[in-house]
Formats: sequence, structure tokens, C-alpha cells
Amino acid sequence: MFEIEILTKKDFKDSRGERVLSDICGLGVTNVTKAEYSQLYVVDGDINLSETEMIASELLVDKVTESYIIRKCCAEYCSEVILKSSDAKENDRLNSNFSVIEVWYKKGVTDTVSESVVKAVEDLGIVKEIKVKTGYKYYLYGKISRTILLNTIATKLLANTLIQECKVHCLADKKA
Amino acid sequence: MKKVKVLVLRTAGTNCDYETQSAFELCGATVERVHINTLIEKKDKIFEYDILAFPGGFSYGDDIASGKILSNEIKNKLGDEVKKYALSGRPIIGICNGFQVLVKVGLLPSPELFKQISTLSYNDSDKFECRWVYLKVEKKIKNESNCIWTRNLPDIVSLPVAHGEGKFIPGNEKFLDELNKNNQIVLRYSLRDGSEPEYPLAPNGSVEQIAGICNGKGNIFGLMPHPERYVFTLQHPAKEGFDSKYGWGKVIFKNAVDFV
Repeated sequence: MFEIEILTKKDFKDSRGERVLSDICGLGVTNVTKAEYSQLYVVDGDINLSETEMIASELLVDKVTESYIIRKCCAEYCSEVILKSSDAKENDRLNSNFSVIEVWYKKGVTDTVSESVVKAVEDLGIVKEIKVKTGYKYYLYGKISRTILLNTIATKLLANTLIQECKVHCLADKKA
Repeated sequence: MKKVKVLVLRTAGTNCDYETQSAFELCGATVERVHINTLIEKKDKIFEYDILAFPGGFSYGDDIASGKILSNEIKNKLGDEVKKYALSGRPIIGICNGFQVLVKVGLLPSPELFKQISTLSYNDSDKFECRWVYLKVEKKIKNESNCIWTRNLPDIVSLPVAHGEGKFIPGNEKFLDELNKNNQIVLRYSLRDGSEPEYPLAPNGSVEQIAGICNGKGNIFGLMPHPERYVFTLQHPAKEGFDSKYGWGKVIFKNAVDFV
């Protein structure tokens, strides 16, 4: 099982990230200094790293404005170790100080994008039984408490809690 | 006289195919809306048509990115045929989602290269932008560009846009210079007097206000605005047009039909 993360390259405008930052300010949370957005795809099945790289590079990434990172995943956990990336320079920022909110569909909720990805993978010529799960990741910079991340930003802004769930990695927790 | 035959390619999520059909029929062409699966089953069918149109809409729900899944499908299942068709010099148009497909397949800006070297990315506002805008068709471009689709247009035209991912970004400075040098940038967002606009009349933050480009030969044309939504004067909010009945969008379709 692999996780593919699609990020906007440094030199290009991350319009979703900028809009999220503006919306966070609108909630009255003023200590977030920057927000970045990325898309997540977890590909599960009889698939190897080179096929996953093909899916990332030929299908999921926009070669002009985006870069990708591939990580190994287990059932509920994704390793921090990067197996492959399209642009090593882009990985530097992942060592910066930030909190993270991941938004995923709850079990049983139809993930329409994942169905499209499965079809497109077949179009690529990879005819294997795979399952795909899609999600979003937000990198938030600044001093933010877990309570604000979870109770305000995640549940009031980024996720529809009826159908989506959040994973929060708080920078303050890591430092403690 | 033989009627000009147009193929309007559709798939799940396409929603401007009827209007595109209607616009070509208004110009005297015979039009068939063909589902991509039908074309994949009988690939050579594409060569029965004089003009190929990729209409607007939300193919495959804009999943992954606008036009991405359809362009992936075309490239992997119809790539040879579509490239051969494009290089034969027959007119091809991509409107909005169709433009995104042409760019991501690699038919624009260069079908010879047949590789994605530019993109249409998320609007700077990160919102769906839907309004009438002004477009500049520079005199120099009209006189020196090979684009068969934009002949006979006035210096400034008004057309509606409706998209979430319309920001044109060339892969690098060199490609942008080549587009300019070869007069391939045929439409730019502008103000009514031709000067540079700001948001909201610059709806997406496109590099150099690019709204439409063609290939070097001029037979392939992609644009974010919707000319098929302005074929009658009545469709314009101020009821403007090139005579009492027709809108400027019609000229674009007529140019291709006349060319054939």
C-alpha cells in the first residue's frame, strides 16, 4: 500500500492554501501565518513501487505546477519516509515547523474521485485490482493548540464531520 | 455540395455538447455527438469527420484535475489517431474543459511534440468564475497568425467564461517566448478599450492574460471562454452582435466550416 501526495511547487501559487488561510482568519484564529494544501491518494492492491510512480507521474501530478511524494503505508499508518519524489528540492519544506490536518472520508462513504482514479489507472494500462482512497492535507504554520486545530479549524472549516474525519498532528504536541 | 461533418466528442460530465452542435449546425455543418467509448471501439471513425470539437463541461467530474482523466484516456486509447488527425491539418477546437484536454493531451501548443508543456491550473481566486469578459484579438495576431478560427473577429470581443481551472501557465519562459514569437496567443483577457484588466475581468490570473492559443499551423484552437454561448445577439446581456441577429461566437465556428 502506498500513499501519493501531490503538492504545489514552490514557485507557483497555492490558491487553495491561500483561501484556507483567509478562511481561518475569518474564524477569528489569527496565529496561523501560512497554510499549504496537498492532495492525498492511498493506493492499495497488488501494485509495486514503479507502477505507483507511473500513476503519480503520468496521472495524478500536473508536471508543470505540481510535484509528488510517495510513501509506504500500512493499514492505518503512513510512514514519514519518502520512497520516491519528483523533485527532491520540494521535500525541504516538509522538515519545517508546522501542524497538519488530514481530511479523509469516513468508512462507508462513497469516494467518487477514487472511482475515477481506478478507471484512469486502467486507462494507463495497469490492469490490476486496486482500491484507492482520497484525502486532503493542510500544513498550517504558526503556534496553534490542538484544541483550536481540532475543534475550530478542522471541524468548523475543513471537514464535513457527517461524512469526513480528521487526523491532526499538532506541532505543539511534538515539541512537548 | 458536400456538407461539412463535425464530430463533437462527449463523455461522462460533458455538458456543452448540445450548444456546440447547435453552433456548428447554425453555420451549415452536419454534426454528430459521439461518446468516447464509441470512438474507441471504432478508432478510424474519427477520419470520417472534417472538424473535431472538444466541448466544455466537467468531464469525469473534474476528478484529479479538470480534463485530466479524459486527456489520459485519449492519450492512451486514441493517441495515434488523434495525433494523425491533428497533423492532417483538419480544424480542432477545445472549449473550456475541451481546452484543458487539448493542453493536457499535448495537442496544444504543439501536436508535433504531443506532450504536455503547459497547463491550465486553479484560478487565483480558488473559486469558480462565471461572467462575461472582454477579449483582445490583436491586429498583429489577426494579420500574422495562422489561426483559422479567429479570422474576421473585431479587435475586442465579449464572451462568457465559466471555469474553476482556467489559469494558463506555460511550462517555462522559452515556451512563452515561442508562443508570442509564433503569434500563437490569439485571445487575451482585456478591458473594453483593450488595456490590461484586473480581477474580475481577468478571471483566473493567466500568465500574460492568455485566454486562447492555437498551434503553429493554426488549425488547432483552444480557449477558456464559451463562443457557443454567444451565437445569437439575444444571448448577450447588452444584446450586442455583428448584425441584428448573430453574436461574435458564431464567427469562430463559421471560420472553421468555411475553411473546410
